[in-house]
Amino acid sequence: MKKYLYVFRGGDEGYADQSPEQMQAHMQRWGEWMAKVKAEGYPLQQEGKVVGPGGKIVTDGPFTEGKEVVGGYVHLDAKDLDHAVELSKDCPIFEFGGTTEVREIITDMGV
Amino acid sequence: MTLTKTGKVFIIMQTSQLVDHFFRTEYGKAVSHLTSKFGASNLELAEDSVQEALIKAMQTWPYSQIPDNPTGWIFRVARNKMIDQLRRNQKTKNQEVPERVEEMNEDLSLESINDDMVRMMFACCHPSLSQEYQIILTLKILGGLSIREISSSLLKKEETVAKAYTRAKKKFKKDEIKLILPPAHEIENRLDMVLKIIYLLFNEGYKSAEGENLIRKELCEDAIRLNRVLLESEICNTPAANALIALMLFHVSRFAARTDNEGNVITLEQQDRSKWNQELIQQGLIYLERASEQGAMNEYLIQAAISATHCRAQTFHDTDWENILTLYDLQLQITPSPIVELNRVVALEKVHGSLLGVKEIERLEATQFFDEYYLFYAIKSEMLQKLGNNEDAKEALEKAIALTKNEKEKSYLSLKLSRIK
Repeated sequence: MKKYLYVFRGGDEGYADQSPEQMQAHMQRWGEWMAKVKAEGYPLQQEGKVVGPGGKIVTDGPFTEGKEVVGGYVHLDAKDLDHAVELSKDCPIFEFGGTTEVREIITDMGV
Repeated sequence: MTLTKTGKVFIIMQTSQLVDHFFRTEYGKAVSHLTSKFGASNLELAEDSVQEALIKAMQTWPYSQIPDNPTGWIFRVARNKMIDQLRRNQKTKNQEVPERVEEMNEDLSLESINDDMVRMMFACCHPSLSQEYQIILTLKILGGLSIREISSSLLKKEETVAKAYTRAKKKFKKDEIKLILPPAHEIENRLDMVLKIIYLLFNEGYKSAEGENLIRKELCEDAIRLNRVLLESEICNTPAANALIALMLFHVSRFAARTDNEGNVITLEQQDRSKWNQELIQQGLIYLERASEQGAMNEYLIQAAISATHCRAQTFHDTDWENILTLYDLQLQITPSPIVELNRVVALEKVHGSLLGVKEIERLEATQFFDEYYLFYAIKSEMLQKLGNNEDAKEALEKAIALTKNEKEKSYLSLKLSRIK
C-alpha cells in the first residue's frame, strides 16, 4: 500500500443556495465517503497569506478563482495511482463541480 | 441528543448520527434566536449568518467529528458571523454591537430557544400579512425550507414564492413586525392565527401524502413540531392548541394504512387497522384529554374527538356512529359548512338508515353547492343502492365519474358502476 494525498478544490459556489436539508445530506455523504476510504485530514480556512522570499507577504490568501481555492485535504492508503483515482470517484466534492487532485506521497526516501 | 467523542473509525456513525432534519430544525431555532436578540430588522442578516454556519458545519464536521454540542456550535458560529457583519455595518450606522463569544452558554436553555421560536411564530403569522405570506414565512424561517422546497411543497412557482417572501420580509426590515409576544388581550386571536397556519400546513401535507413528494409529508411533521413548540409555552398551552395536535396525531397515525403500494388512497372502511400507529394514537388521546379537561369548545376539539372515535374502533363495523353524529351536530353549530353537512349525513345514514340518509342528501343537493363535487354523487349512489334503487344509483355514479378528473378514481368508480345490476 502507498499513501496518497487528495487536495480538494472548489465546489463552494454551489453551497450558498443549498437548503439546510440538502446540506445535511451532502455532509452525510462526505462522512460516509471518508469512512469508506479511511481518509484522514483537515479542512482549511479560506483566509491565508502567501509569503515570498525574506518573509515578505506576497498576497492575502492564495486566491485565484473560487474553483481553485483549496477547501481541505486528506490522505489515505491505496495500491497505486489508478486505485487512488478509483477511490476518489464517489467523493461528494464532485456534486458541486469541485475537483480533487490525487498525488502519491513519497514515504520511501530511497526511491 | 448526545454525541460522544469517539475515534475516527466511527465517522460513519457520526455524520449519520445526527437526527433527521437536524440542520433544518436548527436553522429555525437559530434564526429565531438571533432575530430575537438583534431585532426583527436584522432578520435577513440572521438568515444569512445561520446559512453560513451550516455551510461551515458541512465543510468541517466530516473531517473529524460532530461537536459534543452541535446546537451550541451552530449558534456560536452563526452569532459570531452576525456580529462580524454588524461591526462592518457599524461604520456606516450608529449601532451597538456585542462582543464575539467563544462559548455559547448564555441564553441557550431549551426554554429560551423555545420562547424565541414562539415569538417568531407570532411574527410570521402577523395579522398585517396575508395568509399566503404567513405560510411562506413560517415554512422558510421556522421550517428551514428553501424557496425551491417551499414552491414544490405548495405547488407554486418558485418565482412567486420568492417574490412573496421578499415582500413579506420587508415588514420585518421596516420594523412593522417585531419579535414580541402579543399583549394579553390579543393573545387569543393571535394564537388562533398561528394555529390556523399550523393546520393549513398540515393539510397541505396531508392531502397529497399519497404522492411521491416526501417534503409534503414533512409538512405534516413540521406542523406537529411547531405545535409542540407552542405547547411548551405556558400562554400558548390552550385547549385549542392541545386539540389541534391531537387531531394531527390521529391523522398521521393512519399514514401507513392510507395508501396501497401503487399510491392509491384506501378509504377508512378498507384500511388495515393493524397498520395504524398506536403510539401516535395514544399520544393524541392524552392531548385530547387535556383539551377537553380545559373545558372550552373549539372546532379542533370536535374534529379531534371525531378522529379519536375512528381510532378507537377495532374495526370499521365497531365505529361509534352515534357519537360521531353528535359531534358533527355540534360542529355544525360552531363552524357550519356544506362539507361538514355532508360528513354529518354519512354518519346519520349509519345511525338512522339509508332512507333518512337519502332524504338529507336530496336536501343538500338542492343547495347546489355540490353540483361539481364527485364525492357527493358517489355517496348518494351508495345510499340509493342500499335502498335497492339501482336506476338512480347508476345515474348518480355516472355523474360522479363525469365529474372526477382523477383517472384512478374514474376507473375505480367505473368498476363499481359495472357491478350495479
